[in-house]
Amino acid sequence: MPFQTKDTGGMNPREREELLKPYLPAAPRLHEASIKRKQHSNKTASGLGVRNVLKKQLYALSFALIHAIFSVYIRIRIACHAVYLRIVSVLYHHHHTPEYIQRDVSGLSRKPKHLSVILNLEEGGKRVDAKEKLISEVADIAAWCASAGIQMLSVYERTGILKDEMQQSHREISAKLRNWFGKYQAPDLHLHSPNMEVVHPSYYSAPAHKGAAEYGIAIMLVAEDDGRESMVDLSKVLTVMAQKNKLSPADITADVIDNELTSSVMAEPDLLISFAPYVDLQGYPPWQIRLTEIYCEQDNQSVEYQVFVNALRKYAQATFKLGK
Amino acid sequence: MSIKADANVQRWIATLPPISWALRQAREMLIGTLRQGPIPQHVAFEMDGNRRFAKNNHIETIEGHNMGFEALAKVLEVCYKCGVKVVTVYAFSIENFNRPKSEVSGLMKMAKLKLEQLCQHGELLDRYGAGIRVLGERDMIPDDVLPFVDRAIEMTKHNTDAVLNICFPYTSRAEMTAAIKATVDEFSMPAEPAATPFSQARITETIRSKQPKRAEPSLPTLREDSPDPAAKSDVDDSVSSTTTLNPGSPQTEAKGKGKAMPFKDAESITVDSINSHMYTADCPPLDIFIRTSNVMRLSDFMLWQCHEDTHIFFLKCFWPEMDLWHFIPVLLEWQWRQKKEREGRSGRRLKTE
Repeated sequence: MPFQTKDTGGMNPREREELLKPYLPAAPRLHEASIKRKQHSNKTASGLGVRNVLKKQLYALSFALIHAIFSVYIRIRIACHAVYLRIVSVLYHHHHTPEYIQRDVSGLSRKPKHLSVILNLEEGGKRVDAKEKLISEVADIAAWCASAGIQMLSVYERTGILKDEMQQSHREISAKLRNWFGKYQAPDLHLHSPNMEVVHPSYYSAPAHKGAAEYGIAIMLVAEDDGRESMVDLSKVLTVMAQKNKLSPADITADVIDNELTSSVMAEPDLLISFAPYVDLQGYPPWQIRLTEIYCEQDNQSVEYQVFVNALRKYAQATFKLGK
Repeated sequence: MSIKADANVQRWIATLPPISWALRQAREMLIGTLRQGPIPQHVAFEMDGNRRFAKNNHIETIEGHNMGFEALAKVLEVCYKCGVKVVTVYAFSIENFNRPKSEVSGLMKMAKLKLEQLCQHGELLDRYGAGIRVLGERDMIPDDVLPFVDRAIEMTKHNTDAVLNICFPYTSRAEMTAAIKATVDEFSMPAEPAATPFSQARITETIRSKQPKRAEPSLPTLREDSPDPAAKSDVDDSVSSTTTLNPGSPQTEAKGKGKAMPFKDAESITVDSINSHMYTADCPPLDIFIRTSNVMRLSDFMLWQCHEDTHIFFLKCFWPEMDLWHFIPVLLEWQWRQKKEREGRSGRRLKTE
């Protein structure tokens, strides 16, 4: 569809076609392909065949060459990024002190209320300590969030291994938070997961009034099942209701679905950080990431504090406008 | 106006015969080269930054959109020449109706003009073998634009080599809602009885005529068995409905009809059944998602499709600046990652062996 739109105002279709001719593929596939094939079979083993073979060889050669160059370039890029992150993380280390993190985020014009991260189980969970490593990563991020004043954190991990023993995860993350903040200043941790009971601190009693629940940090554990599958489950419920005439399919609106998915799975996060080398959603809940700002530090491999801070900075800069 | 002058000078240089010949050869070479590696089957573009580009270069907003269309034409050419099967572009969001009226009407006018031009060049589009499809809320397309849309679709219908999906009044949430609605519709319609030469009416007739006496005493028990259908589960519903329809012998009826439930089982809904109601149901999975102008959001585009194995690229350039030279690094990196993945997979296999 290569129209040169700018000067086409006063042209007629014929002139426009003339303009396009050089850009078009040599032969139309539909009409002339069959004719061409006939001609081809007539001239058996003509010069054309040799030329095509040569051309193909040339393409293969230049493909190898381009990819060799690109591979070198990408390795240099990865190395540069790694060095940069190292240097910055040495310069701005948080020293496990919440005050340092507060200082880092104090200049930001706005902060996400709900932060989401995508974490990976190392080597598909084959290593024995993979789960422990994952929990310690969650605990680190929770501590950063608590220091930065973000009260809602959702952790997406594809396999859902974190949801298996939530009590244990809660214990370990709480221990880490106490490490950071001291035994008495540590924020209360509430561990949520779709369709599961909330794990509160042992001394926790339901707040007498609503404002009391404001402090502390809530972590939501989300897995692949809570993505597309949750929408399938919702469809099943809606179908059963429709079959029993409790609802007509016309009543299903985006608001109904949004309301259900928000209350049973999770709300739309403001910022999503991927700690992978490139953005890979890995089955992240599709409904919820509509307007989520996605941050991914290019070529980064691990969960680093610096990535977290960079993401918050980028989020503060991003202008927000829907449809405008 | 400098940007326009620049573009004109550039175009003039590019049309000098030797230079245009060399440029064309270089492009051919590059595209032929890229075709040697794996090629994505489905690429989506979120064409962002037309207005900011216009603002930065002090040109009219609608002129920015025009240049954006030109960029789209260039990118499509590269994509189809490389062998991409499906290209999906986000032309107009439902939210865009909130923009200033003059801009919306300008965009609509442009859509009309471009579609009209497309129709005039029907056979040129055939050379790429690209068929146009318009995805989105059809009833939101203004009445004066709709005939052009239909004509463009109609004219390119026979092209099956490649597809150009134009998302026009589209948001992904509306798409997902429509898909769920369609799924519910599908499963809450009574299942059609299988075509058969046997007539149920005749069977009941025969049974009734053969056993005229037994039918009478069974009626009162029948009424007890079929109270308010809403209070019972689906299976009960099916039994009660069949029995009320044919007040013959309830036991045999229920057994005979056990297979042909009036509704499809809701539990058999899977991801695929919802997927089959998406606008992109018959397209290959999305391989590359590109958004320009350094905005890192999906913004209600292809949410369901960006699920996994989709490589999302956020480019810094504005959409009107997008061309072969911005697209090639993306394609190269994708090919490189593809190679890495394959190596990783075979490496793992070697280890386990």
